Amino acid sequence: MKVVVLAKYVPEPTATWAFEADHTLARESVEGRLSELDEYAVEQAVRLKEAGAADEVVVLTVGPAKAVDALRKALAMGADRAVHVSDEAIAGSDALGTSRVLAAAADKEGFDLVLTGMASTDAEMSVMPSMVAARLGLPQATFAGALSVEGGTATISRDLDTATTEVTVTLPAVISLTDQTDEARYPAFKAIMMAKKKPVETRSLADLGIAAGDVGLEAAGTSVLSIAPAPQRQAGTIITDEGDAATQLADFLAARGFLR
Amino acid sequence: MSEVLVLVETSGSTVRIPSLELLTLARRLGEPSAVLFGSPEDSVVAALAEHGATTLYAVPAPEMEEFLSLPKAEAVTDLARRLSPTAVFITSSPEGKDIAARVAVALDSGIITDAVDVTSEDGDVVATQSIVAGRFVATTRVVRSPAVLTFRPNSVEPSPAPSSATLETVDLSVSEVARGARVVATTPKESTGRPDLTDAAVVVAGGRGVGSAEGFAKVESLADALGAAVGASRTATDVGWAPHESQIGQTGKTIAPALYVAAGISGAIQHRAGMQSSKTIVAVNKDPKAPIFGIADFGVVGDLHTVLPALTEEIVRRRT
Amino acid sequence: MNTLRLVVGLLMTVVMLGLAGRRLLYLYRVGGAGQPVEPGRLGAVGTAIRAELVEVVAQRKLLRWTAPGLAHAAVFWGFCVLLLTVLEAFGSLFDPTFSLPVIGQFPVLGFVEDLFALLCILAVVAFVVIRVREAPRDQGRRSRFFGSHLGPAWFVLFMIFNVVWTLLLTRGAQINAQEVNTTDNLPFLRGAFLSQAIASLLAPLGQDVNEVIETVALLVGLGVLLGFTVFVTYSKHLHILLSLPNVALARRPSALGALLPVSSGGREVDFEDPGEEDLLGVGNVEEFTWKGLLDFGTCTECGRCQSQCPAWNTGKPLSPKLLIMGLRDHALAKAPYLLAAEQERDGLSDDARAVASVPLVGDTGYAGDPLAAYAPLGPGGVIDPDVLWSCTTCGACVEQCPVDIEHVDHIVDMRRYQVLMEGAFPDEAGAMLNNLEHAADPWGRGASQRLAWAEPLDFEVRVLGADGGDRIPDDVEWLFWVGCAGALDDQAQRTTRAVATLLHEAGVEFMVLGEAESCTGDPARRMGNEFLFQMLARQNVQTLDDAGATKIVVTCAHCFNTIANEYPQVGGSYEVVHHSMLLGRLLAEKRLVPVSRVDRDVTYHDPCYLGRHNRIFAPPRELLGAVPGLRLAEMPRAKERAFCCGAGGARMFMDETLGTRINENRAAEAIATGAQTIAAACPFCITMLSDGVSTLRPDDAPVEVTDIAEVLLRAVRPDLDDVSPPPQAARP
Ligand SMILES: Cc1cc2nc3c(=O)[nH]c(=O)nc-3n(C[C@H](O)[C@H](O)[C@H](O)COP(=O)(O)OP(=O)(O)OC[C@H]3O[C@@H](n4cnc5c(N)ncnc54)[C@H](O)[C@@H]3O)c2cc1C
Ligand SMILES: Cc1cc2nc3c(=O)[nH]c(=O)nc-3n(C[C@H](O)[C@H](O)[C@H](O)COP(=O)(O)OP(=O)(O)OC[C@H]3O[C@@H](n4cnc5c(N)ncnc54)[C@H](O)[C@@H]3O)c2cc1C
Ligand code: SF4
Ligand code: SF4
Repeated sequence: MKVVVLAKYVPEPTATWAFEADHTLARESVEGRLSELDEYAVEQAVRLKEAGAADEVVVLTVGPAKAVDALRKALAMGADRAVHVSDEAIAGSDALGTSRVLAAAADKEGFDLVLTGMASTDAEMSVMPSMVAARLGLPQATFAGALSVEGGTATISRDLDTATTEVTVTLPAVISLTDQTDEARYPAFKAIMMAKKKPVETRSLADLGIAAGDVGLEAAGTSVLSIAPAPQRQAGTIITDEGDAATQLADFLAARGFLR
Repeated sequence: MSEVLVLVETSGSTVRIPSLELLTLARRLGEPSAVLFGSPEDSVVAALAEHGATTLYAVPAPEMEEFLSLPKAEAVTDLARRLSPTAVFITSSPEGKDIAARVAVALDSGIITDAVDVTSEDGDVVATQSIVAGRFVATTRVVRSPAVLTFRPNSVEPSPAPSSATLETVDLSVSEVARGARVVATTPKESTGRPDLTDAAVVVAGGRGVGSAEGFAKVESLADALGAAVGASRTATDVGWAPHESQIGQTGKTIAPALYVAAGISGAIQHRAGMQSSKTIVAVNKDPKAPIFGIADFGVVGDLHTVLPALTEEIVRRRT
Repeated sequence: MNTLRLVVGLLMTVVMLGLAGRRLLYLYRVGGAGQPVEPGRLGAVGTAIRAELVEVVAQRKLLRWTAPGLAHAAVFWGFCVLLLTVLEAFGSLFDPTFSLPVIGQFPVLGFVEDLFALLCILAVVAFVVIRVREAPRDQGRRSRFFGSHLGPAWFVLFMIFNVVWTLLLTRGAQINAQEVNTTDNLPFLRGAFLSQAIASLLAPLGQDVNEVIETVALLVGLGVLLGFTVFVTYSKHLHILLSLPNVALARRPSALGALLPVSSGGREVDFEDPGEEDLLGVGNVEEFTWKGLLDFGTCTECGRCQSQCPAWNTGKPLSPKLLIMGLRDHALAKAPYLLAAEQERDGLSDDARAVASVPLVGDTGYAGDPLAAYAPLGPGGVIDPDVLWSCTTCGACVEQCPVDIEHVDHIVDMRRYQVLMEGAFPDEAGAMLNNLEHAADPWGRGASQRLAWAEPLDFEVRVLGADGGDRIPDDVEWLFWVGCAGALDDQAQRTTRAVATLLHEAGVEFMVLGEAESCTGDPARRMGNEFLFQMLARQNVQTLDDAGATKIVVTCAHCFNTIANEYPQVGGSYEVVHHSMLLGRLLAEKRLVPVSRVDRDVTYHDPCYLGRHNRIFAPPRELLGAVPGLRLAEMPRAKERAFCCGAGGARMFMDETLGTRINENRAAEAIATGAQTIAAACPFCITMLSDGVSTLRPDDAPVEVTDIAEVLLRAVRPDLDDVSPPPQAARP
């Protein structure tokens, strides 16, 4: 079985983020990393390999030149190969465009199972797994809290508000994994050194047979008008209890919708 | 007037509140039509009409629940193809995102997730999103319609706008692909027990200020009134007032509930490491200098032994 | 008879010394299986000689424990002196009237020899008393001999006793033989008081009998001594021979303070471009340097280290003694394999090959029995991971060890292998490493939070780069290194504000790096993640050098140790002082004047990385002493013997689930002094102790834990009772 893991290169969450004039995230000037939530997907893929269920784990990213750092991290965690789709024309793509590129790249690579994170830690849309599955004509199962694969079927569990469900998915399929799955490993230095020797292939849109006009800022179905820093978080209201604190607190909770 | 398809969710005989919020928002762009899975009870139809839905598309396919969101996405896609609405509104939830994603791909529509506000500008849908963990606000125009939008719950106060709704039943055949992800077992969560700490929407936690194991009962009562999970600082678990599994922090659990209530917890950095991404933080502490107030949205300087029981009582009173 | 005695004596000597020599040669070859030592270890002859004089001849560390120290010194000096009698004994094999040249017949020599013989006997008695009183059978884990080889230790005492009494008997008989013969068998007419006393007891037996006694006792004595020598080469008493080279080759002034960089094959490893074959840390016993193996062979099993170890004293399986013994036993068990040529290894016994494949660190399944956490013959591992990860690197073991064994270095070397090669370490620490890597602080707060501490201050703190310049201006004297805790932990922020306020008060121009500061890398390094340490350290040195920093003041003991002692390893050399030292100077210069009494009982906790690791014992105490009204009470375990708070060695970021909590142990000791204030001088100690105090006193905490600077601030600026309003910190 061949597993393709979709792994995104995102700005460091603790860094100070900035946006370019075209409202896209300034990815070159901010320290980046492999999205923390995608580490869970890499971890599950590597575990499938260690358990003998998978033969090969390939990580795939669509992103700028520096995104190769995210791939190296995934390789250090135990992935076998990496594919980096990088093309000037992709810059500024919306979810439609990005999913088009990811689907084409995964298709070209070939796979039995695509694993993804539950959300990126930058745009946090949580739509890519379903979009990629839709484009590939495959079923998807999202927000899996646990994963096992046997034969041509994957079994996942989903933790919902009122119930836990178990879902079987016929492969090939796309599965997204939550942070409830096993903690991602911290790669040993030896593994980091070994990862430097693992192959990373770079692909352009042309390699994937996608016309430059089908992706990128211009082709997007949405257009960002403005991005502004959120108004400073209101400093909290601090009251001193003079007998009516409970009422005031209840009012506050009601106003925030917690007493419905 | 243009049509807005609104995917509504019900629980038994009531419409879930986020769905009423969607209807309220949809009225800004046009006439809301509700899409709903299953056969609606009268009270549901009435509530939807009360909030402005003019048409109600009911998709009764009983085997729907057997599969994950794919059949629902197919149904919404079919409807959207047929009706060419201005926009499709869905609540931000795991299932909502799945459906939105598939609909957007199928229709090649612009998609915006986690919107908190929406308007119409020159006939285009423009949505406001809170992005990057709330650090920025983005406004985005959808240039390829129908606009597929998912909204965060609590984005707007639901308001009524009575209309009369016609009910239309829609047939659905579940495709082969959609049958690929099948629910094989469902274990309902114990409704009597409290939710699990790590994924609870509301957490009430107690610290050393609670004073004793008996005192901790006040924390638990408040938690039950709020339907919350119970958490604790390390000190409170160390002295045995709360079980070790309920420890929150650097060496305990890391949580991010919608509401976190800290009672008698000073808010040491080791504790904050486990709860600082909570959306709303409430603190009750008798020391006005306690660091927890630095990150609290609402703080009460006072004795938790009086404040917590009074609050519990107040909540119970308001809920009945 | 004289020929017989000559033949028997010489034969015995040749056989026994042959046996001992063969064993020593073998051990030498085993040692040779180790790695070359790191650069700079050899060659400082002067310090080596000085060390021999202080540590071996003057028995410095041993004498810190008065009773056992004196007893050991008596035996040590006794055996040195009695070496002369051994020469005399050998001489008398050839010539019954032999005496040493020149000094041989001085009465004072006879007196000294007899005196030390007597002292040896008294010492043996003292040792017996100590061993009975501290018997592990009664005392269990509390005994420092718990887990030591007790049989051989008793045997050695018995042999010392035998050596001395046969000697005295020989000498007594010699005197009698002399009297009758009028020859000069014992070289001394006067002085040898004990021998004379024994002689008068033996005299009635007559000359012939005494001659026989002399010969028999001489031969028995020599036999015992030679047998002892052979035994020594096979037992823990090897230290008699090995402590000399071990002390000579030890790190000076001590194996505390800085950790050594990772080296492989005697060269430092370049982490930016490591060699293919480089060993990163120690994963097999032969990957220790030969000096490391020498350490293991030298351990006397005295248990001084164990008695002081915070991990051991709180019920964890780690004992530095058992660790060293386990590694020694494993090295010896693996020796046949190590010494066999590659092609011969398959021919070795199954046992020998099995031992060779035992991992150094692995699950022993010890289930609470600390002795079972060390399994030199495997199969799971030589030491349990719980042993390895329990160490706080407090250095109490190194401080105590009379033969200068370097426990902390060995522990960290094994951690290095686990982390760098295997990626194996306690899960909780992973979050800390990730945070260091991604946010440059252990809590993952990020650079943007690093100046939040200064917001409540009513004066401006100068931040590098704020005015556009990227170098520290000339009018700034000190760079204030705030540290991660100092910048991000609420309680430590108070210390930071107190120090800043005091410096401001004294008119000292200082500056902080603000967002440009990163973790020094201490927790990463002590966990064994040298790679991450090197990254952080190089980045910080770059920042400091770019800013032109020369004088740095820090409030954190770990930052102090790292910047002062370890940054020179990566090319950064600065004058680094702890705030206790700088504030002390300002007090001495009257730039800070305590104006108000602070009427409190205080005790002071020595942070390991300030005290033991850096010998800064006095400045914090002097600072407290300068505060009027303060009454300082010392804890029983203070200064060199201070008990750790439990935070070092990255333990701060791991769960403490084994045994009892180290911080509670220390907090209880501090509370027991009756102090109202527990003062420390390191943010990690303060967190640990205040946590301990709140658990011990859950209902009310009349005992506060605070930094010495805050105490001083109360005396200097009594109006500022509050340097700690709640920070309105931005939430991510
Ligand atoms: C702040 C912000 C807001 C945005 N809002 C919108 C919007 O409203 N509408 C819109 O159409 N576009 C939006 N975008 C653009 C969007 O980021 C990209 O289209 C993105 O590639 C897809 O969304 P996501 O990152 O949220 O992925 P998610 O759907 O959250 O990602 C889920 C998983 O998909 C995989 N994945 C996602 N992206 C990649 C990638 N590039 N390479 C490899 N694997 C990947 C990962 O496994 C990830 O865990 C926004 C971008 C930003 C920075
Ligand atoms: C290595 C390490 C790891 C740690 N990991 C964690 C962790 O994972 N999680 C964690 O929580 N802690 C952790 N800690 C402990 C942490 O440092 C704090 O000591 C702990 O969080 C304090 O708990 P607390 O807030 O309950 O107690 P305190 O700090 O003592 O605070 C008690 C608070 O209660 C208030 N109070 C008292 N009486 C009343 C009353 N009647 N009404 C209202 N308020 C009252 C007081 O004003 C005070 O603010 C760790 C510590 C260490 C050293
Ligand atoms: S450094 Fe401290 S904790 Fe570690 S073994 Fe030595 S005495 Fe024990
Ligand atoms: S390591 Fe040193 S202190 Fe510890 S038992 Fe051995 S000789 Fe004694």
